Amino acid sequence: MIVKKARIETSDRMLRTLELTFRNPEDEEKFRYIPGQFCELSILGKGEAPFGIASSPTEKGSLKFTINKAGVVTTAIHHLEEGYEIGIRGPLGNGYPIDLFEGKNLLIIGGGFAFTTLRSLIAYFLHPENRPRIKGITVIYGARMPGLLLYKEELLEWEKRDDLRLVMTVDWGDKDWKGKVGLVPNVLEEVAPSAEETYAVICGPPIMIKFTFPKLMTLRFPNERIFTSLEKRMKCGIGKCGRCNIGHLYVCKDGPVFSYAQLEKLPKDY
Amino acid sequence: MIQQKLREKAKELLSNKTVDLIIGYGNWTLPLRTTPVFIRTPQGTESLVWNSFCENNLVTYLHKFSRFKVGIVVKGCDARSVLALSLEKRFSNQKPLLIGIPCQRIVDRKKLKKAVKGEILKAVEQGELLFVKGEDFEVTLKRDDFLYSVCQTCNHRTPLQADFLIGDPVEESPLLDTHPDVRDFEKKSPEERWTFFEKEMSRCIRCYACREACPMCYCAECFVDSSRPKWIEKSLSSSDLAFYHIVRAYHQTGRCSACGACERACPMDIRLTHLTQKLNQEVKDLYGFETGIQPEIPPPLATFDPKDEQGFIK
Amino acid sequence: MKFKLDKKDFENFLNDLLETHDLFAPVQLTEGVSVFKKIERPEEVNLNQLVPQKSAKEVFFPQSEVMFRFEMTKHQGSIVSKHQIERERVILGARPCDVEAISIIEKVFVGEDYTDLYFFEKRKETTIITLACNQPLTTCFCSSTGGGPFRREGSDIFMIDLGDSYRLELLTQKGKAFSKKRFFKEANSKDIELAKELEEKASHKTDRSIPLEGIEKRLDLMVESPFWDRIHEKCIGCGVCTFLCPTCHCFDITDEVVNLKGQRVRNWDSCLFPIYSLETSGHNPRPTGRERTRQRLMHKFNYYPKNFGKVACVGCGRCILFCPVQFDIREAIRYASAKRTQGMEGRPR
Repeated sequence: MIVKKARIETSDRMLRTLELTFRNPEDEEKFRYIPGQFCELSILGKGEAPFGIASSPTEKGSLKFTINKAGVVTTAIHHLEEGYEIGIRGPLGNGYPIDLFEGKNLLIIGGGFAFTTLRSLIAYFLHPENRPRIKGITVIYGARMPGLLLYKEELLEWEKRDDLRLVMTVDWGDKDWKGKVGLVPNVLEEVAPSAEETYAVICGPPIMIKFTFPKLMTLRFPNERIFTSLEKRMKCGIGKCGRCNIGHLYVCKDGPVFSYAQLEKLPKDY
Repeated sequence: MIQQKLREKAKELLSNKTVDLIIGYGNWTLPLRTTPVFIRTPQGTESLVWNSFCENNLVTYLHKFSRFKVGIVVKGCDARSVLALSLEKRFSNQKPLLIGIPCQRIVDRKKLKKAVKGEILKAVEQGELLFVKGEDFEVTLKRDDFLYSVCQTCNHRTPLQADFLIGDPVEESPLLDTHPDVRDFEKKSPEERWTFFEKEMSRCIRCYACREACPMCYCAECFVDSSRPKWIEKSLSSSDLAFYHIVRAYHQTGRCSACGACERACPMDIRLTHLTQKLNQEVKDLYGFETGIQPEIPPPLATFDPKDEQGFIK
Repeated sequence: MKFKLDKKDFENFLNDLLETHDLFAPVQLTEGVSVFKKIERPEEVNLNQLVPQKSAKEVFFPQSEVMFRFEMTKHQGSIVSKHQIERERVILGARPCDVEAISIIEKVFVGEDYTDLYFFEKRKETTIITLACNQPLTTCFCSSTGGGPFRREGSDIFMIDLGDSYRLELLTQKGKAFSKKRFFKEANSKDIELAKELEEKASHKTDRSIPLEGIEKRLDLMVESPFWDRIHEKCIGCGVCTFLCPTCHCFDITDEVVNLKGQRVRNWDSCLFPIYSLETSGHNPRPTGRERTRQRLMHKFNYYPKNFGKVACVGCGRCILFCPVQFDIREAIRYASAKRTQGMEGRPR
């Protein structure tokens, strides 16, 4: 795939969003994906790494990925110039259970740069074709500082819409920040969405999940209706190399989206 | 008997809580072998053994148990490892208690296996003899014919700096002056040496048993695992294999106590002690230094003295 | 017709084979060390070691395999070579445990959703000639894992050493395709009798006593058991058991580059290495030997059975024979069955 556009997403310059187009338009036809799936991006000479797809299947013409600069492959991706061609394998993984959400409310909780696949999910349901399939959408998205929020322009657009309720929060504000200041678990308690007929999807750093999950319990969300997208070190992405297993399930093949009801039965190997 | 005294001493140390844990050798499932045991109760000390099959260097476990008060069974070579590690300040938290046993030299089980035809089902030691039994054979062998090569040249069988010595110190009388392989090696030309080395290393499967068995290999990130910078690839190309073994041997120079644990751990029977013993010999010749003997002298490759021999710089 | 091959014709038979096939068999690298390798000359074949260090999985899943080569320019990298098999292959001298192990790996690599073509292409083109074990070792416990020294499943041709000849049973279509081989003779009733006797004798020798019945359910209850705190202690975290194990199949993929040319290589990896599950953030879900040993044993006796219905162990005994500290998987299973940890500190003898 070819790098069409690239931009730095966050103020600490650690996150870069790539927009990739297919070299052959026929490939795009065959590339059918749902929110929550991921791809293995390959930089020949450096390696391959898995990234959640940030764009929604309703956004045609390109794929978006937001990449955190952490190791060999991600650093190479940060230095890619527009026009460079990279390899891709996908779509991989199980994606969010879109069918289960049919006719229900959706509560989406995101933290930091784990928001990438959540963007895909939100954009998918905001599309006019899909919006009627869901009842209410509530989004709570928090980051440490305003500069670290992803997709800032889009978030501002979404905030203005009336078919979705978006609450943004930061741990520490700055002089320009007009929104909420507070940790995600506390904001969740404040917003207190009803658990009735609602599915919760939560993606974020382990520390955020650790404190948010009990709040979901207090709000009476049952485990079968709480979903999360896990990360583990991956190589092949198709369940062969054995690396990403949690119990008998593979994060690449049987996940990365799991319900808490599933995770309860598995060893704490993540 | 040494085994009995060892059990009594271990029992005493656990009973009066001088230590939380005793690391020693115990019998296990295969003949000719013992296994490391981790004993926390006075009754458990009944499983401690001492014989010519106690081949592991248990000091490598001290890195894992550094938070505990540990009593560890050491042979002469193992005690040298402890001393070398102390000089590297590895035991500043909790000094291990050394239960030293003067070593009668360890039997080379791989050499013994090659001397009989068929699977060995039982091997019993009695003094200088070994009674070895298989399904359809029974032989008596002389223990001294089947010793590890590092044991034959060992000059430090009595553990130094031991807190408790089980048994009497033995007379230091190496069976051979120089490691026989080193002598052979020195007779070879550089091309012959490289051919030998490459052929030996070609069997390597990068399992890192040598690295893990060695008490001196304790780096949090080994150079083979570094990805930025990537020093070495993970495949079995001859250059990667050579690189791994040469660098590991050099990291041991001046620190290796000649215990032979690396060679014994290797599943492919690579004669690793050729390299390490040759390097030990060089250090002895150039700097008059042997690892883990004198506590006051720091390792030569970690220090600099203007009077150091420099003739090899050409 | 029932076949046999005289040992004096063995080399001729191999020479015949070498004209049309790539041949893989155990080769002795030094006394006591054998591996499976590609044979150029019949003299290289050495069938004396019952369990070669490196098992038959090497033939289908090499330790180091180039997936593809590439070249790089300023604007892109491009793949310049693809993988292909040139000739049909024969593997000779694998033991029934190794052959069973290949089918265990196959269940993972050849799936309904994705197939590992590197493995599959080799497997498709290979005829398996299995050698029966007349004299199993005391460490062999294949009978406890559903195997046996004369187990024929998975073999195309089954070979029994009769002393001065080999009895050959041509079992599958692939095997029967060899029936016209020049040096095959007809086996007489004495040969058949002898083969039966050897089979009978060997079947009593392997260890049936390892309590694997219901091990999956027992381990389900033990995920957080203190059992794991003790059993991992002596493991030094090397890769011997995983690399020598015929069913272990974890691998790593890396790019090797020199200047502007490179290759993507897959190499065996071990779940017992600390960096195996280390994430770039620094978080390691399996930080100590306790979690890693648990992962290895649970994968073999709980996770794999959940997915595929049988344990991922064939009882070959390599991990017992070659472990530097004598970690004995049989004892681990026995203790897991009894759910106790005292007595693991050696045994008074």
